[in-house]
Amino acid sequence: MEQIKEMTAQESLLLIAETFNKSREGILRNSAKYFMLWGALLTLTSLVIYLLWHLTGKPQWNFLWFAMPVIGYPAAALMGKYDVAVPQNEVSKMLSGVWRVFGAFAITLSAVAIFLVPMNVSLIIVIILGLAECMSGVLLKNWPVIICGFLLGVCGAVFAMLVKSETQLLVFTLGGVLLLVTGLVMKLQNK
Amino acid sequence: MLPKLDPLLHSELRLAVMSILAGVDEADFTYLKKQTGATSGNLSVQIDKLTTAGYITVEKGFKGKMPRTACRITPAGQEAFKNYVSALQEYLSASKEVK
Repeated sequence: MEQIKEMTAQESLLLIAETFNKSREGILRNSAKYFMLWGALLTLTSLVIYLLWHLTGKPQWNFLWFAMPVIGYPAAALMGKYDVAVPQNEVSKMLSGVWRVFGAFAITLSAVAIFLVPMNVSLIIVIILGLAECMSGVLLKNWPVIICGFLLGVCGAVFAMLVKSETQLLVFTLGGVLLLVTGLVMKLQNK
Repeated sequence: MLPKLDPLLHSELRLAVMSILAGVDEADFTYLKKQTGATSGNLSVQIDKLTTAGYITVEKGFKGKMPRTACRITPAGQEAFKNYVSALQEYLSASKEVK
């Protein structure tokens, strides 16, 4: 890019719009891989716990959920280490905020349900998972993600109320797949 | 009478740098280089000019063991960029009226 080129007003505005969009797309494309990471982790963890619980009949396998942040946060930090050049914009910061809040709620409520007050934690988590997914869709201005999040929250809540024990976990497998899909949508939207 | 376009921003590379920085908290030199496709030397010169004008700040440091140069737009830079875009819009409106 030459710094001395004379530009018309129209060319200048076009340059601003193009540069801004290119930068925005790059940032969102970079955020997509975190959705894919957490989506893959959620799918895998829920399936492993489901299978172990199903095969042994022991709900104690649910403690494996705590392995998810233990693996996920360092993995995300490691991925971020190679993103030195990619900055954050308002949308990526808000997306990150939404999912951090979701993570804090999910971990705390799970701990409360296990150690203090027994509750149908699957029901609560699936609702806030759907809500977080829905809000991500709003921030990304992407209707399929909004609808998927809404359906996950509503249908997941009904499913969590109707089925018992390990079968409830399958709703998180679906949630994980949806996160993976959201990541893919973001990647494709911002090629 | 049409407003005067800020000569510091009315340059392709400096305008691209300001457009990127206007949308983010801060950006690395390497990111700006990649996004603008400019050479390191050319980009350094233009960043120096924007820094001297008080439009951006440059912070040199390290991320791990790697040297890092972070650029950030200042409030004066935001204001200048906003005024520049408004001026461009006035130019375009005026040219439409002439047509």
